[in-house]
Amino acid sequence: MSSATELPDESVGLDEGSDLRRTFHNQLDDLRDRIAKLAAGVTESIPRATQILLTQDLEGAELVVLADDEIDAKSLELDEACYELLALQSPVAGDLRRVVAAMRIIAEIERSADLTVNICKAARRIYGHQLDPRLRGIIQKMGTQAHTLFREATEAYLTDDAARAAALDDMDSYLDDLQREFVQAIFTSHTTEKIELQVAVQLAVVARFYERIGDHAVNIGSRVRFVVTGSVPEFDGAARYAERQAASDLE
Amino acid sequence: MNESGDPMTSSSDTAAPESAVISLAPAVHEAATVERATVFATSDLAVYYGDFRAVRDVNLVIRQHEITAFIGPSGCGKSTVLRCFDRMNDLIEGARVEGSLTYHGIDLYGPDVDPVEVRRRIGMVFQKPNPFPKSIYDNLAFGPRLNGIKKKGQLDDIVERSLRRAALWDEVKGRLKASAMSLSGGQQQRLCIARCVAVEPEVILMDEPCSALDPIATARIEELMQEIKADYTIIIVTHNMQQAARVSDRTAFFTTELNPESDRRTGRLVEFDHTTKMFSNPSDERTEMYVTGRFG
Repeated sequence: MSSATELPDESVGLDEGSDLRRTFHNQLDDLRDRIAKLAAGVTESIPRATQILLTQDLEGAELVVLADDEIDAKSLELDEACYELLALQSPVAGDLRRVVAAMRIIAEIERSADLTVNICKAARRIYGHQLDPRLRGIIQKMGTQAHTLFREATEAYLTDDAARAAALDDMDSYLDDLQREFVQAIFTSHTTEKIELQVAVQLAVVARFYERIGDHAVNIGSRVRFVVTGSVPEFDGAARYAERQAASDLE
Repeated sequence: MNESGDPMTSSSDTAAPESAVISLAPAVHEAATVERATVFATSDLAVYYGDFRAVRDVNLVIRQHEITAFIGPSGCGKSTVLRCFDRMNDLIEGARVEGSLTYHGIDLYGPDVDPVEVRRRIGMVFQKPNPFPKSIYDNLAFGPRLNGIKKKGQLDDIVERSLRRAALWDEVKGRLKASAMSLSGGQQQRLCIARCVAVEPEVILMDEPCSALDPIATARIEELMQEIKADYTIIIVTHNMQQAARVSDRTAFFTTELNPESDRRTGRLVEFDHTTKMFSNPSDERTEMYVTGRFG
């Protein structure tokens, strides 16, 4: 073959960048925006659930419970959009990571919405019982921290900000601390007979719900880092497992 | 080919005449690694057509019994590099190679190396199926006959074995005397692979072997590649990135760069890695852009 046919001068190179798959990439952007919108909705329902719990707002609780069906429907719709992109567009590299991460993130959001519903259901169960101010204060703090975590995770996802996503781990530690403090406070309240056992158990579970919302936010952050850098959060654990397996094989 | 044996003897079971000009040393490869043996290694390989440098910076290691895919836009030099491996560029006037290209540690462009013997060990399958205008049988017996095999029984065996290897036997066994040109495009391409295999090469180079085929014929060739890679080392140039992702163990991405001095485009190797890495998290931004279609 001659050089003339092998290397046409009009051949196009990287420096003349133009997106060959604009439609598909627009679909990816649209998918991200819709997922972020779902996450934003759940973010807002966290302080709402906290207020419902603290003010014993049964009507509000009912609304949050009902709204969960809509979140389930939207999650399903978004999952299907991911399947469709995988089936029709065969994404690779960064595009593939984006779709795979999206499917995981949708599940994290959907589960977090369930947890806000659980907080509202707990509000119904403790209806009519007074909470001492110290417990109320910690609940408020946990609600605020869970809200902040989820908002940050959503923002990091929307802006592909791996550094912001990485900061979620530290923010979650504070929420974990609050949970421990809260459980201690429940014990104290219970021994000084300020709350009944039934209420104490409900509140301990509520603390656990906030703590789990924080974990889901951290998971979203991990997936954002996966999209941006390709790093897999389970890698360290898998490496330790492989090391232990190798060691046990030698024995 | 076995990893430690002399490539000369191990590839010459059926055909290689003892008078072959080159004698290649045992494969050189890293001990105590899980990597397969090195078949080809290039170091700063560049190819020129006259004073025009068509492709540069090619540093590759082609490993035994692996499929290596070359991808990249038109003019990136991937076919040019492929043709270095069987010295097909020798046939182009003014073409020359700089840097080094070794085959089992032997300089493939060394003064003692006979290009004809190189092409016997390193077969090529082209974009367009190119059967000889002869019978199916004669297409397959052609190479072995050139190599001195005369006995009909032996040739019959080679023909059947090669056709079976190329997953074509069942479709043509009743009409071996029919013209190869009567076969469908996909069958013709498998015939060309069978013809390539008939002379027992070690390496099969494929230059866009499926670009003229429909999806089913393409799938057959791809399956065939997976089946025969246990016995051969394969390098495939493809425009179809999904094909590279489906079939290959490693992928080399080439691109073109404008040389402002000459105002011409030169190809260069950008990234070479495991295919899973290249299509899930490539290291080079240019690879990412190419495989995701973010530049044209």
